[in-house]
Amino acid sequence: MRHSRPMDKSQVTNKPNTLIDSEDRILESVPYMQRLKDYYLALGYGNPYQWASYSEVPFATLTKPLSESKIGLITTAAPYKEGAGDQGPRAPYNAAAKFYKVYSGNTDQVDFLGISHVGYDRKYSTAEDINSFFPLEALKRAERQGRVGQLSARYYGAPTNRSQATTIKQDCADLLDLLRQDDVDVVILVPN
Amino acid sequence: MSLVARHLEANKIPTVIAGSAKDIVEHCGVPRFLFSDFPLGNSAGKPRDLVSQERTLELAFQLLESSFAPRTTVQSPEIWSPSHEWKLDFQNVDRIPAEEIKRRRLEFDKIKEIGQQVRDETLNTDAN
Repeated sequence: MRHSRPMDKSQVTNKPNTLIDSEDRILESVPYMQRLKDYYLALGYGNPYQWASYSEVPFATLTKPLSESKIGLITTAAPYKEGAGDQGPRAPYNAAAKFYKVYSGNTDQVDFLGISHVGYDRKYSTAEDINSFFPLEALKRAERQGRVGQLSARYYGAPTNRSQATTIKQDCADLLDLLRQDDVDVVILVPN
Repeated sequence: MSLVARHLEANKIPTVIAGSAKDIVEHCGVPRFLFSDFPLGNSAGKPRDLVSQERTLELAFQLLESSFAPRTTVQSPEIWSPSHEWKLDFQNVDRIPAEEIKRRRLEFDKIKEIGQQVRDETLNTDAN
């Protein structure tokens, strides 16, 4: 039989279920699934979103060094849409700026990409620096330095659909087609 | 994006996701995940901080090179700010006044309506 030991009070924090370090910083990541569920229930919406979950996870290994590979960038950011209102830094949530089809753009010429159409943290973040959510410049530097063999001539845009069926049936297939057309070896995906 | 990464891997293209919604990505199950413990919208590094952005990308590269099994998560050592209030604030109903909740409900109904219109327009364009 196991006996419980008296608890060492020095290790107990006054924030239940929250791990904090010696500088009182919260070590746990934000429980987004729980937060969003509670949030939309509080707003009065039933039928909470069911997040995708799989027991099996596919895994492909690199077939050549990164320095010899062509890398592709997939983003959830959106190109500027004419007539869709404010889409820049600090813009309020903008559903009109959403897109529902996979798109691609030229990595040599990116005039604007925004994230006003997604629920990023608008209190602590402004989306003023595209490089904080779309690492094109860093990838170009990596290419110049030879860290990666080549950056694909196109980047690829993935819609943030609520429908997992559409994502799987349509968007995944469209993205794979584009990547194959461009002979991309390895992909970095940057959601927002 | 997790679903996309899974599809590409199943078709022999190695991927790495750089993101901040750790629970959602890991719940889905992806091959490689570089986790930055930042507010959503900064998956590629801190804004106006070239060093942070380059470090983040380099960690993603190293994860691609070193992982040998799926569900490999690496956490970036970077810290967003000395205060972690942002973690407690985000969409936290315990911190939103009742009046604000009501206002947001009305606002969200409008957002959904607009989103539906854009989606319908896209489908109609495809059909024509």
